[in-house]
Amino acid sequence: MNGAGIMLMAGDIPQGSLCTTDKVSAFIEESQFALGEGPCVDAYHLDRPVLEPDLANPSTPRWLAFTGPVLDAGVRAIFGFPLHMGGVRLGALNLYRDEPGGLTDQQHADALGMADIATRAVLVMQSNAPLGHIAVELASGADFEYVVHQASGMVAAQLGVSVGQALIRLRGYAFGNARSLRAVAEDVVARRVRFDGVSGEQDPQP
Amino acid sequence: MNLQPKPARGEPMLREQSIVRTFVELTDTLVDDFDVVELLTVLAVRCVDVLDVAAAGLMLVNAEGELQVVASSSETMRLLELFELQAEEGPCTECFVTGGPVVHPRLTESDLRWPRFSPRALDAGFHSVQALPMRLRGQTIGALNLFRAGDGSLTEADMITAQAFADVATIAILQHRAVSEAQAVNDQLNHALNSRVVIEQAKGMVAERDGLDMEQSFRRLRAYARSHNLRLVDVACSVIDGSLGTPSLDAKVTRREA
Repeated sequence: MNGAGIMLMAGDIPQGSLCTTDKVSAFIEESQFALGEGPCVDAYHLDRPVLEPDLANPSTPRWLAFTGPVLDAGVRAIFGFPLHMGGVRLGALNLYRDEPGGLTDQQHADALGMADIATRAVLVMQSNAPLGHIAVELASGADFEYVVHQASGMVAAQLGVSVGQALIRLRGYAFGNARSLRAVAEDVVARRVRFDGVSGEQDPQP
Repeated sequence: MNLQPKPARGEPMLREQSIVRTFVELTDTLVDDFDVVELLTVLAVRCVDVLDVAAAGLMLVNAEGELQVVASSSETMRLLELFELQAEEGPCTECFVTGGPVVHPRLTESDLRWPRFSPRALDAGFHSVQALPMRLRGQTIGALNLFRAGDGSLTEADMITAQAFADVATIAILQHRAVSEAQAVNDQLNHALNSRVVIEQAKGMVAERDGLDMEQSFRRLRAYARSHNLRLVDVACSVIDGSLGTPSLDAKVTRREA
């Protein structure tokens, strides 16, 4: 395995990355956050491991937006394991490799074990947090992509639309311009990009 | 070594199969969200199928330390009454207090051990009873109660199987508690994550409308929440759904700061 990451989900959408071992894993998690699809998202929703041993030649094409950029980043096999305890679901563990190939039975068992340990760790940490707050141990080192939500609020104000619609516009712009959602969000917050065509250096309107 | 499956030689093989099937069934229900009472009822019914007993039930201790019946192989009043009676005396109470198995191989009308329980059990057609503890690491949480129509105690093989059933039931209950606690923590975490998102969105909105940076915008939201004795997340929600306009947010803060 080349890298791993843990993604937290809440309200059926990716909420952000708890930890990643390397740049590629961070990119995998960021892409799933931005696009709302990928092995972690599926593992969470299906509540079972999602295995793609050959991302370049998948037996079933899926993740149409996610696959291209992640292949470009060098990922060839990718696996998502749900973080769950009974019916309770927290997120997913993500593993990737730069060569195609499935998991051995031992690796599969180890991944399930790691997902279980991560689940318990998250629950133990969060159980000590004050109500309405994310445990300090979870928040430090985690990346919850706050800048994207700030940008959504700004774009919503610029266009007079809901924050949900604003996020869709941000995603559309990032995808259409082959940029990361975070980079676009940072530009919006730094007031380098506006969506209402009033006075930005760049005009994202088509 | 003969790898051919043995021909079913009647009872022993069938019994073994149904024991295995019972364990598979029980562990299956453990995996996902499950209902504890349903699982324990399956267990009680399987005891009657697999063991040489006429009726079975499970009693658990509640928060007040009293034993209560949670599952039974049949819902007949006569059987349920036998469990009710055990709040005071009987195999379950004794098993719960001692933490060990209890056997009474021959109930009598004038029983000194359980003067109230024994005649009623005989009336219901049961001549011998046993109870096995539901225990984990020294803690007894309840008992499995087995009633037989005839005299005598269970065979050793049946006792071992029954204790294994009781152990699975114990694990099921503890697992269920762990899942319930996990659910509460996860709900709390979801709430915290979603609150954070809403606050960030509101910060962005206020920052855009009033030409502030994120830090200033956050301070303005927080000041408004404090001066109105509201939760920050509720103020953020009002900003996002438009019910609280940024001008009013601003006016209040300006007056306060002035």
